Amino acid sequence: MNVTARMIFVLTTVGLISGALLATVGMLTQERIDLNKQREIEAAILQVVPGTQSSQTVFEQDGITVYAGSDGQGNLLGYAVLASGTGFQDIITLMFGTNPDLSVISKLTILDQKETPGLGANITSRDMFLKYWDNKDSVNPLTLHKPAVRTAGELGPGEINTITGATISSEKVLQIVNESLNAVKNLNNEGKLEKEDKHGR
Amino acid sequence: MAAKSITQEYLKGLWDENPVFRQLLGMCPILAVTNAVINGIAMGLATAFVLVLSSLVVSSIKKLIPSQVRIASYIVVIATFVTMADRFLAAYFPPLSKSLGPYVPLIVVNCIILGRQEAFSSKNSIGRSMIDALGMSTGFILALLTLSSIREILGTGTFLGHQVLGAWFKPWIIMILPAGAFITLGILLALAMFIEQKTKARS
Repeated sequence: MNVTARMIFVLTTVGLISGALLATVGMLTQERIDLNKQREIEAAILQVVPGTQSSQTVFEQDGITVYAGSDGQGNLLGYAVLASGTGFQDIITLMFGTNPDLSVISKLTILDQKETPGLGANITSRDMFLKYWDNKDSVNPLTLHKPAVRTAGELGPGEINTITGATISSEKVLQIVNESLNAVKNLNNEGKLEKEDKHGR
Repeated sequence: MAAKSITQEYLKGLWDENPVFRQLLGMCPILAVTNAVINGIAMGLATAFVLVLSSLVVSSIKKLIPSQVRIASYIVVIATFVTMADRFLAAYFPPLSKSLGPYVPLIVVNCIILGRQEAFSSKNSIGRSMIDALGMSTGFILALLTLSSIREILGTGTFLGHQVLGAWFKPWIIMILPAGAFITLGILLALAMFIEQKTKARS
């Protein structure tokens, strides 16, 4: 065999074997990876809409997913909104819970972020950031309270605390929440959050 | 290559030819993921998995590969194992996979792996290549462990997530930022050079 033919033969063989191996590994792990993602989302729903027994996707489009959380009897407890947007360094993915008429944000949780460790990454810290999101009045867009306060009592009903040294990350989270909340409110007004006409999950 | 004993072949990766402190290879993960000990360990083990298996494959097929396409073939072999490691982490250790982010796929371009295939596995027997890969992996893990321990303890006051420094300690945030990685690595490299020179002067 001349060198060219051998080169083609070797590279093709190596590529084929590698492809076959990867396809196998991909198939074997895909199910579990999907399951992990689903579990993570379910855990987050339970966290932001406490008491949820069953949840179903009621809307999914343009980077916003809305889940309806219900108790055992099928009464709507609230919505969990999964949204993402640009942070200080990379995409921030978060989920917040609301009451059924979208007038209160019950809780916020961050699913994915790559903010600066030790500064912006504190958006995942309950003590420094997330606890100031509990039960916020969301009739009007939320606003940021600057400078940072030490207790939740010092904030107005629609005010969110800033993280000292990470104003931009705090602002970005606020922006994602306000924008997606606005979108969800519009959906609600258009009657698109009815869960009956959507298939459950 | 002069005949080295199996033990020497293994031990050279730990110090004399340590991939990080002596060869200065694999700097990207060394700097990027050593902000916490658990990340360092995971990256070390993933790299070791890829290095050992790639060395096994490359040393067993070295005679079949025409030298013109050897690098391309090595890279395909390495990339296959890296993708396997990446999928495995994502499936079984999702939090780790998340915190390592893009650095697992980037093991493909870790020079230490391609470097060992080109410099060692493609010229040596399967057995020796495995020993060499194990030694290099151990050296790499030790370096990651050293760096990540220093950075985690000084940067957050914890070791593997457990508080080791008291409440009096104010974390040096810079240590878990990129600058802290460069500073720590620089100091460790200087230390390694210093020890090396002392040993040379004595012998």
